[in-house]
Amino acid sequence: MFFLPSVVFAAEAATPVAADAGIYGILIPLIPLLPILGFAFTALFGRRLMLKSGRTAAEIVPLLVVVTVWVIAMAVVYPALTHAAPFGEKGLDVNLWTWIPAGAFTVTMGFHVDALTGALLIVVTTIGMLVHLYSVGYMAHDKGTWRFFAYLNLFMFSMLVLVLANNWLLVFAGWELVGLSSYSLIGFWYHKRSAALAAKKAFIVNRVGDVGFALGIMAIFVNTGTMNIQASLAKLIDPTTTLTVPLVVVALLVFCGAMGKSAQFPLHVWLPDAMEGPTPVSALIHAATMVNAGVYLVARANPLFAHAQEAMVVVAAIGIFTAIFAASIAFTQTDIKRVLAYSTLSQLGYMFAALGVGAYVAAIFHLMAHGFFKGLLFLGSGSVIHAVDGEQDMNRMGGLWRKIPITHLTMLIGTLAISGIPLFAGFFSKDEILGEAFKFGNYWVWGIGLVVAAMTAFYMWRLMGKTFYGESRVDPHVAPHVHESPWSMTVPLVLLAIPSALIGLVLTWGGPPWPQSLGGTGLLAGWLDPVFAESELYLHGEAAAYDLFGIDGRLILTSVLVATLGLVVGIWLFGILRRRGNPERVQRLTNANGATRFLYRASLNKWWFDELNDLLFIRIGGRVAAALWWFDRTIVDGAVNGVGSVVRGAGGGLRKIQTGRVQNYALGIAIGLLVMAGSFLLIVGQPR
Amino acid sequence: MLSFLDNISQSLDAYLVLAGLLFAIGSFGFLARRNAISMLMSIELMLNAVNLSIIAFGAFNPSLNPYASIIALIVIASAAAEATVGLAIVIAIYRNKKTPLVDEYDAMRQ
Repeated sequence: MFFLPSVVFAAEAATPVAADAGIYGILIPLIPLLPILGFAFTALFGRRLMLKSGRTAAEIVPLLVVVTVWVIAMAVVYPALTHAAPFGEKGLDVNLWTWIPAGAFTVTMGFHVDALTGALLIVVTTIGMLVHLYSVGYMAHDKGTWRFFAYLNLFMFSMLVLVLANNWLLVFAGWELVGLSSYSLIGFWYHKRSAALAAKKAFIVNRVGDVGFALGIMAIFVNTGTMNIQASLAKLIDPTTTLTVPLVVVALLVFCGAMGKSAQFPLHVWLPDAMEGPTPVSALIHAATMVNAGVYLVARANPLFAHAQEAMVVVAAIGIFTAIFAASIAFTQTDIKRVLAYSTLSQLGYMFAALGVGAYVAAIFHLMAHGFFKGLLFLGSGSVIHAVDGEQDMNRMGGLWRKIPITHLTMLIGTLAISGIPLFAGFFSKDEILGEAFKFGNYWVWGIGLVVAAMTAFYMWRLMGKTFYGESRVDPHVAPHVHESPWSMTVPLVLLAIPSALIGLVLTWGGPPWPQSLGGTGLLAGWLDPVFAESELYLHGEAAAYDLFGIDGRLILTSVLVATLGLVVGIWLFGILRRRGNPERVQRLTNANGATRFLYRASLNKWWFDELNDLLFIRIGGRVAAALWWFDRTIVDGAVNGVGSVVRGAGGGLRKIQTGRVQNYALGIAIGLLVMAGSFLLIVGQPR
Repeated sequence: MLSFLDNISQSLDAYLVLAGLLFAIGSFGFLARRNAISMLMSIELMLNAVNLSIIAFGAFNPSLNPYASIIALIVIASAAAEATVGLAIVIAIYRNKKTPLVDEYDAMRQ
């Protein structure tokens, strides 16, 4: 009670409207609170419950928690997206208490919900819920199910804190927590050495980016003196603010964090290895939600990036490079989940390219669409793996479309969506990115993006062809047991296939999905307009109106043609339904000449990136570390120990004069007295 | 009254030489004897030698007379106290160690 007045004061100081939050003042804190309670409960009692009352007892609480969170989130998201009463255009701040009251450094624990947060909440809670449901079936034979569900709930908590936070420090806390839960879930089967190593790799590579992000947050605080996201961004772009750290540096530091979490080149190495985790984890964390955190961060900090255009060029360049780089690797991988992982890298690259050219709404649009269809594809691949008894190599699949029809059909929808076939989700979002890149004058981004679109369609069809069509290459021992997955796995697939097919159409209902200030009239455009309008206006000014029968129509036609081309080549080489693929033709093409052979090997070996890292950081870095260790041991420790042993030796020598015999001391006193008296007589007492 | 004083030496040097001799004997005894009791006795000798020299100075220099008497009395008193405490300590140690020889009191040596 003693500190209550100051709490109220801080809350009032941060946002005068906090008192008007009404029911949302309770609902919004509940969104992250429930999963952490679910985590605590399952972590503490899950094992006992599972041993005593079966696995359903351990699964029911985390499952109920995410369903409740989904319901609450939808209740919050609707008014947030439509800018209804307590939210308004600027969003709603819910301040709970003063977290760190330390003089000028005051951080308020609180959440900020606006349309951008709402868009993320839809993706996180919907896919989170479906993945929880899917995991019931997928983890049915695992001994550690309770642990898995506890971690999943912990992840939900972390991710929700990350998207809801209204200050940088809380964002960073969520940022690290998703890293931790991702680490725990990648290494869920920790007895498998490769899984333990992959978890470690993910954690360490993420740390590299996080250092940059932490420095970026410090730079923001140094520049603005506040940790609140909205206030600090407003102050950063205010021309009257004196900047200690240049905006470009701040933006690049923040982007460094985004690169780590969203696995952009050169920090992309952890994501493919993260596929060692259980497939639901790959779907939830490493495809649909956590890896989007970087995109969310840059979108959230859009005023900062808009005013640091050099940084935006870097964002666009790294994004589009990652897109084509990862797509080229996806061409030759044979592990079904790795193909999807590289495809995720590639699509995240698209999103960053969109952010880099200032097409913020398109980036968030692609984030949402990608969340659904990539979540679907991953869960589908999990269903395939489940069907063929844990086999992940596509060379040992094939011809599965008759045996697992629901999985096949839903994955086909996902593939068409990611390839950008018209009326499926990916068509709208990807086309939006390419179209805006072209119209804002970034022709290089548009050109590379088009190539990547064709590549995407091709490697996705390669995945489909190798997995579902042609003759069966399944292990003869497994082949008779291939079966469709239980309902808890197929229902999420169907529920994800619907938005994968339709979300593009729904979100663009009424017009193109960019800010209304630029002539957009689509649903998503209306939602996200207040968040991005200022930055887009600053970057692009008043753009030309949307022109379906002019430039826009031609761009759409181009990208559709390119995607179809990729798809047709894929079908030509890898078959469809009864029509078989042509492996000899693939062989001939890859062995055509030296260049194609080199490209094939480069793609197969992921452009030797793991080897390069091994050389740089394990071998050379290890040598440097060994040299430093030697220096530390011999020079630094030597100096310290040298001082010690000198003092010790001197003490040991001097100890000998302390004999402990009274007479020795008395003799010393007597001699000393004689010397003193004698010298006194000699010097002072000379006879006159 | 005090007629025997007439027969004593009228030379300050004689007293100082005597005091010096006494002090030398005391020092020697303290440094050379290992018996704690003998060492205490030697200390007494040295104290008395000092006392004698103080009294002698007082007797031969009238202006120092009152101070000399007082200092001598204080020395006697503190010598008595010192002897008491010293003897008590020696006896206490003797009970533990069963020896009066100081070089065997080596419990605090490493």
